[in-house]
Amino acid sequence: MDLSVRSTWSRIGEFLRTPSLARSVMGLLAVAFSLLLAVNVVTFVMSQRTAQTNDQIETAQAMRRDARTVLIATLDAETAQRGFLLTGRSEFLQPYRQAQEVLGPATARLHRAAMDDPSLWPSVRRIEELATTKQAELASTLRMAREGRIGPAIQAVRSGQGKVVMDDLRAAVADFDQLKSTRIAARSESSERLARATVAANVTAALLVLVLAGLSAWLVRRYVIEIQGARDQLNQMNAGLEATVEERTGDLIRANEEIQRFAYIVSHDLRAPLVNVMGYTSELEQAGKVIDNAITEAQKVREVQPDVVMAVREDMPEAIGFIRASTEKMDRLINAILKLSREGRRNLSPETLDMTAMAQNIADSVHHQTDASGARIVVETLPVLESDRLSMEQIFGNLIDNAVKYLDHDRPGEIVVSGQEVPGGWTVYRIADNGRGIAPRDHERIFELFRRSGRQDRTGEGLGLAFVRNSVRRLGGTIDVESELGKGSTFILKFPKRLIVSEPGAAL
Amino acid sequence: MTHPVKIVMVEDDHGHAKLIEKNIRRANINNEIKHFDDGGSALDYLFSAEVLANGPLLILLDLNLPDMSGTDILEKVKSDDRLRRAPVVVLTTTDDKVEIQRCYDLGCNVYITKPVDYESFAGAIRQLGLFLSVMQAPEIE
Repeated sequence: MDLSVRSTWSRIGEFLRTPSLARSVMGLLAVAFSLLLAVNVVTFVMSQRTAQTNDQIETAQAMRRDARTVLIATLDAETAQRGFLLTGRSEFLQPYRQAQEVLGPATARLHRAAMDDPSLWPSVRRIEELATTKQAELASTLRMAREGRIGPAIQAVRSGQGKVVMDDLRAAVADFDQLKSTRIAARSESSERLARATVAANVTAALLVLVLAGLSAWLVRRYVIEIQGARDQLNQMNAGLEATVEERTGDLIRANEEIQRFAYIVSHDLRAPLVNVMGYTSELEQAGKVIDNAITEAQKVREVQPDVVMAVREDMPEAIGFIRASTEKMDRLINAILKLSREGRRNLSPETLDMTAMAQNIADSVHHQTDASGARIVVETLPVLESDRLSMEQIFGNLIDNAVKYLDHDRPGEIVVSGQEVPGGWTVYRIADNGRGIAPRDHERIFELFRRSGRQDRTGEGLGLAFVRNSVRRLGGTIDVESELGKGSTFILKFPKRLIVSEPGAAL
Repeated sequence: MTHPVKIVMVEDDHGHAKLIEKNIRRANINNEIKHFDDGGSALDYLFSAEVLANGPLLILLDLNLPDMSGTDILEKVKSDDRLRRAPVVVLTTTDDKVEIQRCYDLGCNVYITKPVDYESFAGAIRQLGLFLSVMQAPEIE
């Protein structure tokens, strides 16, 4: 867990350290998003503050109204007092009572508002005090009037004490009003400033985002151009690669042709001296017979030295015999090389082959050998193949011949030819015998030219399997052997279902 | 007056030349045999005035020569107006199908492969001798 986190971090670190288009675009996008976020936050804060300011302005307006209400109510109460004092009629007191009802809540609201803003406290206190004083004065005069002491009540009014309080109250409310309107103006201005700042921030951010978008687009465009360039380069390299492959194939074909030519030349140039060796050996033999006859004639008349007789009748024929045997062997080997080289140059012509019939024909062609030894060949149903007929006949013929040739005489021989198609467009054939088998160290050697395995008690030059492998490879296939000494061998052939000849007669 | 057929043998291997000659003689062919061991001198002889004066020819030709290929000689002989009637027997170690075809295409009359087995070789030459004894070669004009 910790490890995976660390590896994630190291990967992120790697990403950040490596300059790349992805990093640049990611960076630009990150900047753009943080800008937008910042603008959002600023706008939110601004609107919050604007709302707050608006609230404050509203509160201030309410306070102004309340202050005025206090003044107006007090004035109404005073007017009612004076009316009552002048007329003595109680209906004049109606406005007074109404003023009393209004005054209480208005004062209370002012008081509450002032508690939130201590700077307003002195003004509000003064308004409250003056209003209370005035109310007290009004209440005392009205009480006096109700008690029938109209005179002292008018006296009290006349004293001007109430007027002074009233004037003070008017002045205090005017002051408060003034204070409030100044503050409201200041707040409105700051609110407008805020709004302007918000707009400015939004516009700037929008411009920046546009610039970033442009930058990203430019980067992406540059990247796309780079990718196109890289793709063009890749295409060029691909073309170059194909040319290289063609060139190499050409080299291979040339090398192959060179080997074929070499084998051909060697075979023919080696043959010419052999003709002489064989020819003059025969001439020598003829000459030897002439001498032999001469000795027989001579022996009739006199004694011939025994070492001369020995030389002519034993040493010379022996020497000639060895020369002849070796030359014949040499000739067979040369012919084998020649055959391999010719097979490599033969044109392949693929056709659809009934492998079951082909294998059965080959099996039938060796039946005199198998019948003699009590062996049997089982040909199962084999998948058809599209390949070169002659090559396939030679391959199967060689392998079945070998299987018959190297059967173990101690047990009844059984040779099974089977096959099946395998995925990937291949066909596999197996030629299994219960013969003498091949030692593991010889599993590769048996496919080499002139090499043979096991007891050398059967005739052969060690050509068959070399030839088979050569042909199998030409047909694009492989050959393998599975074998255990004394138990039997299985040769496994694998061919493409369809032989594709790239070029007629190409020695590939 | 008819001239006896002269045998021109172009063979770089002296051993082969000797064996061929021996076996021709053993087949009782006694015609004159003129031996050349390279292509150049053989061509010089074939295109000399002497050949014109000395009547019919038979050419025994090996293909692997040091200075040129026997097919070059064959080509020159068969493209010459006077010499092209002379029978050419190609006698060589090569038994390559393509090579044989090429020789016949160029106008060779008989193609014989030298067998390594001496009995076959001697037999082939003797049969050639038998063939030569009944063969009629045209006059070189």
